[in-house]
Amino acid sequence: MNTLRLRLLGVVLVIHAALVPLLYLGVTAIVTDGYAELFVNPARSYSQLVADELEASSTDRFEPRATELLDGVLLTGQVVFAEIVDGNRKIRSSVPSRIAPADRRDDFRFGQHNDEVYYISHTVKRPDHSIVLRMGFDESPTLEQITAAKQRVLIAILAFTAASLVVAIWLSAVIARPMVRLQEAAKRIAGGDFRTQLSMSSSIREVQELNRHLEDMRQKLVGTNERLEREMSEREASEAKRLDLERRLLHRERIATIGTLAGGIAHEFNNIMTPILLYSQVALQDAPAGGPLARDLTRIVAAAHRARSLVNGILTFSREMDLQKASVFAVRPTIDEALGLLRAIVPANVEISFEPQPEVAPVFGDPSLLHQVVVNLCTNAYQAMHPAGGRIALRLTSVHNPPMTQLNEGRYVLLEVSDTGHGMDESVLAHIFDPFFTTRDVGEGTGLGLSIVHGIITSMSGAITVESAVGKGTMVQIFLPAAAA
Amino acid sequence: MKRRAPQLVILLCLWAQVYAASHTLVLVVRADSKVTALDSLTVRKLFLGLPVLIDGTPLHPLRNRSDSQLDPIFLQQIVAMSQSAYDRQILIGVNRQGWLRPVEVNSGSRLIETLYADPSAVTFMWLQDVAHNPKVRVIRELWSD
Repeated sequence: MNTLRLRLLGVVLVIHAALVPLLYLGVTAIVTDGYAELFVNPARSYSQLVADELEASSTDRFEPRATELLDGVLLTGQVVFAEIVDGNRKIRSSVPSRIAPADRRDDFRFGQHNDEVYYISHTVKRPDHSIVLRMGFDESPTLEQITAAKQRVLIAILAFTAASLVVAIWLSAVIARPMVRLQEAAKRIAGGDFRTQLSMSSSIREVQELNRHLEDMRQKLVGTNERLEREMSEREASEAKRLDLERRLLHRERIATIGTLAGGIAHEFNNIMTPILLYSQVALQDAPAGGPLARDLTRIVAAAHRARSLVNGILTFSREMDLQKASVFAVRPTIDEALGLLRAIVPANVEISFEPQPEVAPVFGDPSLLHQVVVNLCTNAYQAMHPAGGRIALRLTSVHNPPMTQLNEGRYVLLEVSDTGHGMDESVLAHIFDPFFTTRDVGEGTGLGLSIVHGIITSMSGAITVESAVGKGTMVQIFLPAAAA
Repeated sequence: MKRRAPQLVILLCLWAQVYAASHTLVLVVRADSKVTALDSLTVRKLFLGLPVLIDGTPLHPLRNRSDSQLDPIFLQQIVAMSQSAYDRQILIGVNRQGWLRPVEVNSGSRLIETLYADPSAVTFMWLQDVAHNPKVRVIRELWSD
């Protein structure tokens, strides 16, 4: 009984249960009274007429006349008993009465007794004394009519009840249907489906208004929800940006600290290396050619050159861009030059391709540093493909507003360097720009290549990203701000 | 106890007489009324509001409603119809024919006063109420059980 429809039906049933018996009793009472009226009026009039006739009869031959009158009364079929009481004497009809008279004189209400006879007596005044006319009218035909009428009333009321119940079921469905739809829509909204529109066609004004108010609420809820989701998304993006900036700031500070330290050491070391290299070369000129001394000195000079190269790398990593060497230059020739050098040194099983987009904007910076970037990246790439070989692909394009949080909006030159090498996992990717971080064996790499690349790109106000997957290769993207031509 | 037995018998006789009288309805007029006798048809006419003249004087019917037991007897024995038929007849008579509606009196004492005051008044009462009243005259018996 918790649903609206069942409650409506319940109310209708209760109302019917209370009213139908009352209706039946009321209607049958009216019917009974009507039939009683139709019975009593003629009975009273007729008996009075007979009494009047008796009262008007002459004294002569009164008894035969009275007998004839009673015969006529009984032969009507409506009267089942008739007699005249004259003191102790009774005058009766020659036609036998249909019933034995009851021990009472008058009924004043139809159906007052259960013998189905309505008794009426009249005092008839005769010249010398009064006599009493007593008649009994048959109630049974009227009672049968009343019973039949009651049955018809009962059938009519039952039919009415059945019809009204059908109407009630239909009406409850009509009333409950929009509410059920509202409920289902509300359930969907409660389940998170805020796009479910509350629209239903109902002729009931209250339901229409309820639907309208709920729809307004839904739209407000949708608006609030969208605003919250947008704010949450913006907050998450802001938080991610903040974390990224914080991470990059920490990384930059760490790189800067390392760079400063390494730069200071390299500078001093370079000062130390200069006399070593100078005096070794002088000594090599004085040493007998081909002798053990010359061979040792040659090794010292080579080692000193390697040390100087390392020191130069450290200095390149640590120092800011030299503005005196910076200029607006075209990227493609620099890359072509670097690739020309690289093609001479990479193994034959490594293929290098370059797809420059026409009309790529120039950039501002030191071309030799970009040259070094290309060399370092390609060197890393072909070493990653050793010994199986593979393909190094370079693409040069222009992009607008790259999705890098550290870059300003504007036009950028994008250099992509991808290889088909063994790739890197996440733990390696997290440290590839750290100075002296290397995955190679001791003595095979300095761990400065990508650090130098990072330093150069950063000094050119650009950005670098690396995507890699173990077994699938690596993709490096370098964004450099386009300079006005 | 033996001394009181005749008294009890007398009281019982009186009670029986009273009981018998209470079940006889009679038509009455003032003692000096010119009305001496009315047949049942005339009585019916009178209480249906039809004008009934005695020596050129119209009679004034008074319907006695001081006792609820009188109503069914009045309807069945005097006007010989049901209450609704009687009401309908009175309405028709008053509105269409210009007859006068019988005056209805709800108090026995007021009925007697009205009867005393009007020599043309005709009403009906239980016989016991008028049996020893010299100012009232019984002109016929209407009903007895």
